[in-house]
Amino acid sequence: MHTSSSTSNDLVSQASEGGNVASLVSALQELLPESSIIMSIESQRPFECDGLAVYQQLPLITVIPETVDQVQGILRLCYFHRVPLVPRGAGTGLCAGAMPHAEGVLLVMTKLNKILHINQDTATATVQPGVRNLALTDAAKPFGLYYAPDPSSQIACTIGGNVAENSGGVHCLKYGLTVNNLLQVTLVTIEGQLITFGGEGLDEPGMDLLSLFVGSEGLLGVVVEAKVKLLPRAPRVQVLLAAYDSVTAAGDSVAALIGQGIIPAGLEMMDHLAISAAEDFVKVGYPTDAQALLICELDGTDAEVEEQLAVVSECFKQYGAQQIRIAKDAAEAEALWHGRKAAFPAVGRISPDYYCMDGTIPRGKVGHVLTRISELSDTYGLRVANVFHAGDGNLHPLILFDASIDGELERAELLGGDILTLCVDVGGTITGEHGVGLEKMPQMPYQFGDAELAQFRRLKAAFDSEDLLNPGKGIPTLKYCQEYRSLQHG
Amino acid sequence: MVDLTHELEQQIQHAYATKTPLKIQAGNTKAFLGRQTSGEVVDMANHTGVISYSATELVIRAHAGTKISHLNDLLAEQQQRLPFDPPSFEGEATIGGTVAANQTGASRPWFGGVKDSLLGLGLINGYGEAMQFGGQVMKNVAGFDVTRLQCGAMGSLGLITDVSIKVLPEFRVGHTLTFEMTADTALEAMLRWANLSLPITGMSHFQGLLYVRLQGGNSGVASASQFLGGEQLDPTDAEDFWQAIKEGGLLQPQHNQTLWRWSGPSDTPIEAVPNTSLINWAGSERWVLEAGQNPPLEGLMQYNGGDRLAEIFGSVSAPQQALQRRIKYAFDPHGILNAGRLYSWM
Repeated sequence: MHTSSSTSNDLVSQASEGGNVASLVSALQELLPESSIIMSIESQRPFECDGLAVYQQLPLITVIPETVDQVQGILRLCYFHRVPLVPRGAGTGLCAGAMPHAEGVLLVMTKLNKILHINQDTATATVQPGVRNLALTDAAKPFGLYYAPDPSSQIACTIGGNVAENSGGVHCLKYGLTVNNLLQVTLVTIEGQLITFGGEGLDEPGMDLLSLFVGSEGLLGVVVEAKVKLLPRAPRVQVLLAAYDSVTAAGDSVAALIGQGIIPAGLEMMDHLAISAAEDFVKVGYPTDAQALLICELDGTDAEVEEQLAVVSECFKQYGAQQIRIAKDAAEAEALWHGRKAAFPAVGRISPDYYCMDGTIPRGKVGHVLTRISELSDTYGLRVANVFHAGDGNLHPLILFDASIDGELERAELLGGDILTLCVDVGGTITGEHGVGLEKMPQMPYQFGDAELAQFRRLKAAFDSEDLLNPGKGIPTLKYCQEYRSLQHG
Repeated sequence: MVDLTHELEQQIQHAYATKTPLKIQAGNTKAFLGRQTSGEVVDMANHTGVISYSATELVIRAHAGTKISHLNDLLAEQQQRLPFDPPSFEGEATIGGTVAANQTGASRPWFGGVKDSLLGLGLINGYGEAMQFGGQVMKNVAGFDVTRLQCGAMGSLGLITDVSIKVLPEFRVGHTLTFEMTADTALEAMLRWANLSLPITGMSHFQGLLYVRLQGGNSGVASASQFLGGEQLDPTDAEDFWQAIKEGGLLQPQHNQTLWRWSGPSDTPIEAVPNTSLINWAGSERWVLEAGQNPPLEGLMQYNGGDRLAEIFGSVSAPQQALQRRIKYAFDPHGILNAGRLYSWM
């Protein structure tokens, strides 16, 4: 485990000999109510990691502000005292992007959780960053609207975290990621200033700072308000399932379908191991003898869906689907999705631990990459289950391991690293939607050259010259890259 | 295909060393747009050609000097299209300029802008370093989104050398309905219809008529058409109208006229933007063509005509200005790339 521990009851008292931290803490105590500050080690334990729990670190101090003024005050104080700050939402991220800094402040944004306004006419919502993704969709429901990005953590994850990570989900094939569903953000800079990117309209003049900010993983500023687009609910949603005797045939089906001009609302794939695990867990009637399953969702008016359904079924058959099951009603559709959504915990039942990867590849390379992953799985002696957003080539290989066995976590990490570099080799990327955080720093110099990485660092410095916002994440330092390159060539 | 990346890199490296201002230009179709600028020309017109195009991957990658008209033709052969349907300005506009100037057609509210289809690009910064950001895959969150940052930057952060774009299937059928309506009534209708799940790809109000374009599959378009009513426009007239909307042909400033662009929430009352000549994007983009150079309203963009040395993209707050200057510096420390094209202070 990548952890640190301490024996004293709070870390501030240990660190305060320098004086700087002590004076920051007393200033924070002046700024915030007692209930917004957590200092004891035990009370900070729940915050020591995000969804990637193999990386853990206690912060010096955790603050949970209730107002934008307080957020500004906290950033000003961190800037003045030159103390690192890590912002976080619900902590559901999967790249250790919200892992605290040992010598820093952890800023938890979950108390800023109000939906400020929903406008039915313009189909937009203005929300605070701590609003949960699903809570927004629930609130939009009476207006016939919903918020499209739906990461699998949507019951818990927050809009602020979604902005920081540019979160996607099963429906982003048709409706886009967070960046495609956002109009405006207001953020606090490290100096404590409020700045707004984007606007009330669709395309504001000038460089697209809003898009730059989305997915910046808390390295450029802290979101305090977001205006998002909502979509009308489709009158009809149709789910169907297709079973194949090889992953290659399923992969070819996907490429052919998209090539024929059909963009489903969602198009997901599971391999044999994932199918069996999910079926054992939730019993939704998946054919466990299949080597691959596609779950396809079509939406639109009745007429549109009927037209598409005929094309999709024909295409799946033509490319070797051995069984096609069209959900008869909402309950069956729900069941078909349930198996997919339960795939991660299902895999958790058949292995003490699992490690979820997140590469994206061109759709046409799915067959090749899955074959290669299977070879790597044999080489490392670790099983890999594949669950992924097939429509946009976003893989989620789940590496099964047992952390209690010496060296197995390290082997899982090495296998994961090989899968990511494989994604880059076939023209893809090391992260489709989970972000770089701390986890994928080793692969950044593989995906980017020195000039690009230097450009990222200069851009970071334009926002945060003292490198206080979420330092050590997202963008590797020059030293880190030099060490990486010397290892590669050494 | 002609790849001049190396020569372009050398030109910028030389300009960096000598602090020579550069003016990026390809089709030169957008000279009317943005602030006037001067400098040694970086000619992108010959840096052309499609680098790769895979119809099943829905991705096309081309050198920045490739013409939009060429891309449209190539995509049409595979029954595909550019989702953001940009203007081609008499066939001369290029994909690099389109990205830099963030040019989108009438389907913007439903199919997104340039940024929504942009997957990656090559960029030469003000040091003369050629870099690649983003890629050719649909989802990519590694590193900062330098790709989309270029949309609307007017070349002030770097020279775009190549562009990767997500494409979409061509619509199977389409037609346009018209409704005789005042601007107020039309706005109400647009707000109502925009939020129904209908295959609408354009809603504009011009000279007493509301135009609604439907595009999609046969049955979807037919049932939406029946639901909405109105008069069906002759296909040639419809084509001409949407072409004119996209290319800016409806409102050309004459003599001392200035064309202003307003962008905002679609439910903004008609009277809040006085003398609107054209409502586009279901109410979220409005155009005002007026005599003289004085903005009829705060916050409008001076799109075409008038004093091209004015702050035509509007005013920027002091903290934003400071931040954007630092961003400019991060890419172009000597300020040699399209200096003053976006703002006088950049």
